[in-house]
Amino acid sequence: MTACARRDDAGSYVLHALPDDEHERFEAHLATCADCRREVADLQVAADTLPLAAVQVGPPPELRDRIMSIVRSEAQLLAAAGEGADGPTGAPAARAPRARRRWSLSLRPLPAAMAASALVAAGVIGGIVLTGADDTKTVTGTVQIASAPAARASLQLSDDATKLQVRRMPPPPAGKVYQVWLKRPNQDPAPTTALFRTDRSGSADVEIQRGRLKGVDQVLVTAEPDGGSMKPTSAPVIVASAA
Amino acid sequence: MAFAQLADEDLMQLVRRGDAAAFEAVYDRHATAAFSLAYRMTGTRNTAEDVVQEAFLSLWRSGARYDRTRGSVRTWVLGIVHNRAIDALRRSMVHDRRRASDEGIEERFEARERTDVEAARRDEARDVRQALGTLPAEQCKVIELAYFGGFTHSEIASMLDTPIGTVKGRMRLGLEKLRGQLGGLAEAMT
Repeated sequence: MTACARRDDAGSYVLHALPDDEHERFEAHLATCADCRREVADLQVAADTLPLAAVQVGPPPELRDRIMSIVRSEAQLLAAAGEGADGPTGAPAARAPRARRRWSLSLRPLPAAMAASALVAAGVIGGIVLTGADDTKTVTGTVQIASAPAARASLQLSDDATKLQVRRMPPPPAGKVYQVWLKRPNQDPAPTTALFRTDRSGSADVEIQRGRLKGVDQVLVTAEPDGGSMKPTSAPVIVASAA
Repeated sequence: MAFAQLADEDLMQLVRRGDAAAFEAVYDRHATAAFSLAYRMTGTRNTAEDVVQEAFLSLWRSGARYDRTRGSVRTWVLGIVHNRAIDALRRSMVHDRRRASDEGIEERFEARERTDVEAARRDEARDVRQALGTLPAEQCKVIELAYFGGFTHSEIASMLDTPIGTVKGRMRLGLEKLRGQLGGLAEAMT
């Protein structure tokens, strides 16, 4: 029987009812408290049954069609990208998941891919490199959207993943989606499956691929028809140096 | 390939390699449970569709993060849906519009019971609802507000005019009782 004073937080934790700051503090606590970890494990089993309490309602067939249309397009892009690609990594048309959703110490896997984000501005900033304590390099990209001078884009390069972050970026034109391309010296841009739209605030966080880019000197973003393209059909709206 | 014969975990290995047909099989198996949870939480059909689309595309794009040692694919999918629905609720503040009654939902969107699997899941749903119904009302209330409503414990404490510590305690005790009552089903979910 646990004597930890924070035992009651375990219930709130597995129900996702802790506010973000408390959620993070409790996760830090879990790292050092075996009693609470055990409590969370026990209660998680009960929480996992709760979805079953919902009345079972069939989704509309149109939803299946929409999802599969996107998935098949991305699967084709992935196949075209060849062995260098290790899986579909595009992001859904939404904001990044809240940090508290990472469940880094919970009993369930990371629930979601990074959400989308992106770019744009007037081509002012570019190539600023910051190196964090964890060897993550951040490269500021150039946003080339004249109507969005406040838009910002940055590339985060680490051993773990290569990510693109955009802020205050306008949404892609109707029927279009932003697509990330990898440019190698003396080669045409290669497509990726990283497709994204920005959220209402113009933000998106896109995981381009796991691990570092190899042989890539530029990361580009263009607006492409839904589902992406094999070759760019428009000029880049974001250019970031990855070399 | 006969995807219908493959276990979820085997399908996910194909999904992480970009196999759209394998993903389709995963979708077909879990879309009803996912949509049901999203609809129960958001109370609007359009929002539920958005949540499910976002969740499944996330699954497609992050399949490599599925770890079979941490639970079933179904639990993982529903966890993604739950997270996305909470984000949608807190983003759009649709809490107050969410609470359609279960009976109303059934009348309007009755799911087709096409297979033994769906019939079994209806039985599971009934068991969980019954188990929730046996909890003390105050424990059931805070669990439902948190899990299906997406409210934080402080919001619930304010709504119920109850100390936060009491709300936390009710959540924990309610879940403990639920686990005791649903032991077999709960273990099968993992």
